[in-house]
Amino acid sequence: MKTKKLVALALASMLAVSSFTACAAGGKSGSGITDFTMFAAMAGKEKDEGNEIKEMIAQKTGVRVKESWLTGQNAGEAIGSIIASGKLPDFIDGGDGSITLYQNHLLVAWDPYLEKYPNLKEMYTEEEWDKFRMDDGKIYWANVFGNHYKDDTTTGHNGEAFWIQARVLEAYGYPKIETLDQYFEILEKFAKEHPELPNGTKVIPYTCLCEGWKYYCLENAPMFLDGYPNDGCVIVNVDDGVDKPKVVDYNTTDTAKAYFKKLNEEYAKGNIDPDFAIQTYDEYIAKLSTGAVLGLCDQYWDFAYNIMGPFATPIKATDGSSFRLDQLGCDYVPLGLTAKAGMQNQWHTYGDELNQASGCAVTTACKDPDKAFEFLSRLLDQDIHDLRFWGVKDVDYLVDENGVFYRNEQMRENWKSDSYKAKHTCEYSYMPQWMGMSKDGKNYMQPAEKPEEFRAGLAEPLKKAFEAYGKSTYAEMVGSPYIMGAEKYPWYPLWSWSNGISSDTPGGIAWKKMGEEKHKWLPAVVISTDFEKDWNAYMDAYKACKPEDFLKEAQDEVNKRLKTAQDHGWKAS
Amino acid sequence: MENTLSTKKTKQVDTNKTPFTVKELKRQWILVAIAVVYVVYGIIFYYLPLVGWIMAFQNFVYADGITGSKWVGLYKFQFLFRDPTFLKVIRNTFAMGALNLVFSTVVAIAFAILLNEVKNKWFKKSIQTISYLPHFLSWIIVVAIVHDALTSTGIINELLMKFHIIDMPFPFLGKTEWFWPIVTFSHLWKETGWNAIIYLAAITSIDPSLYESASIDGAGRFQKMRYVTLPGLRPTIMILLLMNMGNVLNAGFELQYLLGNGLVQDVSRTIDIYILDWALDARNLDYSLGTAAGIFKTVVSMTFILVSNYIAKKRGDERLF
Amino acid sequence: MSDLSANRVSRMGDGVSRKKKMATEDLIFTIINTTFLVLFAIVTLYPVLNTLAISFNDGNDAVRGGIHLWPRIWTLRNYDEVIFQRDGIRIGAKITVLRTVIGTITSLAANALLSFILSRKKFLFKSGLSLFWVITMYASGGMIPTLILFRYLHLTSSFWVYVIPGMVSAFNVMVMRTYMAGIPDSLEEAAQLEGAGYMRIFWSIVTPLCKPVYATIALFVAVYHWNSWFDAMLYNRFDPQYTTLQYELRKLLDSVSASTGGQVAGTSLTSSAVNTITPVTVRAAATIATMAPIIALYPFLQRYFVTGLTIGGVKE
Repeated sequence: MKTKKLVALALASMLAVSSFTACAAGGKSGSGITDFTMFAAMAGKEKDEGNEIKEMIAQKTGVRVKESWLTGQNAGEAIGSIIASGKLPDFIDGGDGSITLYQNHLLVAWDPYLEKYPNLKEMYTEEEWDKFRMDDGKIYWANVFGNHYKDDTTTGHNGEAFWIQARVLEAYGYPKIETLDQYFEILEKFAKEHPELPNGTKVIPYTCLCEGWKYYCLENAPMFLDGYPNDGCVIVNVDDGVDKPKVVDYNTTDTAKAYFKKLNEEYAKGNIDPDFAIQTYDEYIAKLSTGAVLGLCDQYWDFAYNIMGPFATPIKATDGSSFRLDQLGCDYVPLGLTAKAGMQNQWHTYGDELNQASGCAVTTACKDPDKAFEFLSRLLDQDIHDLRFWGVKDVDYLVDENGVFYRNEQMRENWKSDSYKAKHTCEYSYMPQWMGMSKDGKNYMQPAEKPEEFRAGLAEPLKKAFEAYGKSTYAEMVGSPYIMGAEKYPWYPLWSWSNGISSDTPGGIAWKKMGEEKHKWLPAVVISTDFEKDWNAYMDAYKACKPEDFLKEAQDEVNKRLKTAQDHGWKAS
Repeated sequence: MENTLSTKKTKQVDTNKTPFTVKELKRQWILVAIAVVYVVYGIIFYYLPLVGWIMAFQNFVYADGITGSKWVGLYKFQFLFRDPTFLKVIRNTFAMGALNLVFSTVVAIAFAILLNEVKNKWFKKSIQTISYLPHFLSWIIVVAIVHDALTSTGIINELLMKFHIIDMPFPFLGKTEWFWPIVTFSHLWKETGWNAIIYLAAITSIDPSLYESASIDGAGRFQKMRYVTLPGLRPTIMILLLMNMGNVLNAGFELQYLLGNGLVQDVSRTIDIYILDWALDARNLDYSLGTAAGIFKTVVSMTFILVSNYIAKKRGDERLF
Repeated sequence: MSDLSANRVSRMGDGVSRKKKMATEDLIFTIINTTFLVLFAIVTLYPVLNTLAISFNDGNDAVRGGIHLWPRIWTLRNYDEVIFQRDGIRIGAKITVLRTVIGTITSLAANALLSFILSRKKFLFKSGLSLFWVITMYASGGMIPTLILFRYLHLTSSFWVYVIPGMVSAFNVMVMRTYMAGIPDSLEEAAQLEGAGYMRIFWSIVTPLCKPVYATIALFVAVYHWNSWFDAMLYNRFDPQYTTLQYELRKLLDSVSASTGGQVAGTSLTSSAVNTITPVTVRAAATIATMAPIIALYPFLQRYFVTGLTIGGVKE
């Protein structure tokens, strides 16, 4: 009896499977809409089937793209397996693996389509496009981020800084803080005087993430403290003139040693989170979300978006009342610290940072590349762009009598909800997009850039802190001079090179080994009980990695980029 | 009932080697025919991909294929064995694999035997069901809990300080000497119940009359466990032990990757993590290096298996082939 | 078993007094054993209960940590989000159930038959065939050659890639073979005398006696299929109609922990691209939701290997 039942069940299931195998043939659906696929070698969230704005865009453009993201693999594994499986998506952002895709001849060159679709061509200047050219002289991808239509209207500071809770500054009358000594002094003082939050949570004066590649939070401050911008891997010294740049290793400078010694002392005093070296990213975000951490060093995007929700949720205090962390002043204010007081800092650079190492590409598997590029171009049309980033008129944003877009509270909340985003919004976030002012000159390409939207999102104590210092945006708060990084320094940012450096050259191997040693030694010297001894041991281990190989290749790259710029008529200003 | 199951089998394994004759072949033609089907299947799905091992001796580029890629001889192996980090990760992998093998086997057997002693069926079933639940949690979740318990404000430090065993929180996760024990414990925690299932099934194959006769002889519970249950489990234990010997170098990836940090990286990184870092780097996909490391692992595993199988054969124990 | 006989002899003398002693010994043992097992159960149950508690907690609140066995702010939203808001989960559930049912049946049959052959003492190629399969456990061509092979076999972008390649597992075969080898030869011989062929013996003698090991292997295979996600990603990445439940869950889990390499370090990503964290609560709900059905399977199989079999009767 039982066997019969099982066999029957098996047969039934097989039938079921084969029946929906049959109807699985994809491609062009009835309504004349072409279905494309896209893979981005990053973590991301999938959109629901039948996502509302995606459907609207499909109606307008005739193209619907199903995006998928990195899952359970690193970018290398994913790209490698996609190549071998022989089944490529139509669009791809290979991240670090873009170069591998190119080497395997799997991408379609943009060149003919750039001429055909001015929208795409408009994304970059001729000189910028040249930076994307591969060794065969063609362009295979375009980076889509941080690209401003006309002017840089940035209100935020997406980059790195030493951050401090607004309430700490408020408690001492908004003092001027320029150095690490001043920074830790005020953190320590505040922690002594206010050891607990109203709900009894103990405060942590300072923490620092060093998990995986995010150990930059600990690692690269010496570069900024010396007053240099975020080249990511080295300092490019321009004391002899911008046309005579010299690459300097920031890991071995006196500033670096002084910085780590300072951290070591503060750790011994108990001012640094004892778990800083072992915490995971989740734990770090959890800690920040409690409002307990007074200060930290990180890039804004890495922590800020994830703590907004918890900071805006009411919590019960020990006395039974309820409070919100953002209203208490737990939001973070960026400080542009330097090694010595009065130095100029470049924690914030203005203008676009071009990352030519990766970007949005069309693969050879795409049956209709012209349609694909036409779609990319259409995405940059203002109506579609507004749908992507502002949403549907009257549902996601309102328009006042002057034609200016704005959102109400409910709309802002909606755009923070994951399920709303999965069901309704469709940013096509790894495809061409603009920042800055809209083409109509009235609105902004993306809501977060609109100063009013930005300010509406700020809690009261944060506004007060900005006012006290006479600044209106995060960027101003950091206090860097108005330098268009990429215009002043033709090689900037150099991390667009070091992020893509492969381990098949001596410099690449050195870079990787340096990273491994730093991962181990930097937290170790901070918690060390004998700083000098461990610092020397670190320096020995570091030198054994042959950093000079890496620095040489970095210098070569800087020279190469400088030369390319000079060939395009660039002159030191 | 002179013999227990295991001794009986041992004898049979050793003595019954059927001589190869045409008559015998004809008699068992159906077995041979089925075996052929399995061999064909095995060749297609397991042996054919081994052609890929050629990549280890090349600088494999996908677009050029196995026929077009450049030959580099043993260069990839040299790269591995000249890298002190690789030697370190072999040590780590081996140590964690061995610890895991020993402890998970012993604890799972002990758990199965103790559970078998429970008379109340309801209690027995409940405990067993509970014990295997953590198997279904992903490492991400288990590691989050382990992490949570071991931080400076975690429950372990809290307890130790409450009982004045230590005055300052102890940084368990930042100490190299604690990493392997924590990994082993995490494995035990997650998998003991699951690993015990196989032993519990094996216990059912033990002839109940053996217990009866042992009781008649006045054997107590411990004696029965020692002289009936354990020998009854012996074939299963031996087979699993033999098979798992070959898995010592598969000490894992996810757990160590998630649990490790910069301070303990010298002891936490395994071969698989090394491969991920060096061979599966998106900027320079080096499948050749990954394959070379894979071949190394296979060679070591097969050596372990062959040696232990040989020893088992000599000792007259259960063996794999 | 000379040990046992020696013991038996030494115990002959003090029969009666031992019985009493044994009863107290028994009692003490039962108490200790029960306590131990209960403690063990508590320790192993904790992560599950913790996950359960988090799954019922409000997302923004749970980020602060400190939730152990009971939710702080109750909500059912996480389950709503996981189960009802995602199409992927529904398709995945369908495929996962199908592959679990079909995969378990085919795999159990394939493994059992191979084990049967390998456990026949008279089989001529026993050693060779065993070695052939043992090797498959440790030697692997790696991801890329396998992918290329499957591509040529037209197994990529199909449902059958879940069923066919992994049908025979050497590990399971070895476990089954060991169990089958424990079945007395006398049964086979008697059947052969009555004229039964090998297939008859397999079906009517070996199979009924192997219920516990079949149940065990069925559980292993079913759980393997239920938990699989890597194959779904590798072979059917761009075929959402063949996604599996665990792959969908994994996508939720991974948006937290995925390492994106150095890619975004220093870039000014837009908030829409960065803000990809899945609340821990949704992860927990997804874990519980996918755990529950397979755990429900367990009690049905459990009776085969907890109760034990009375095969003693047929043994002699």
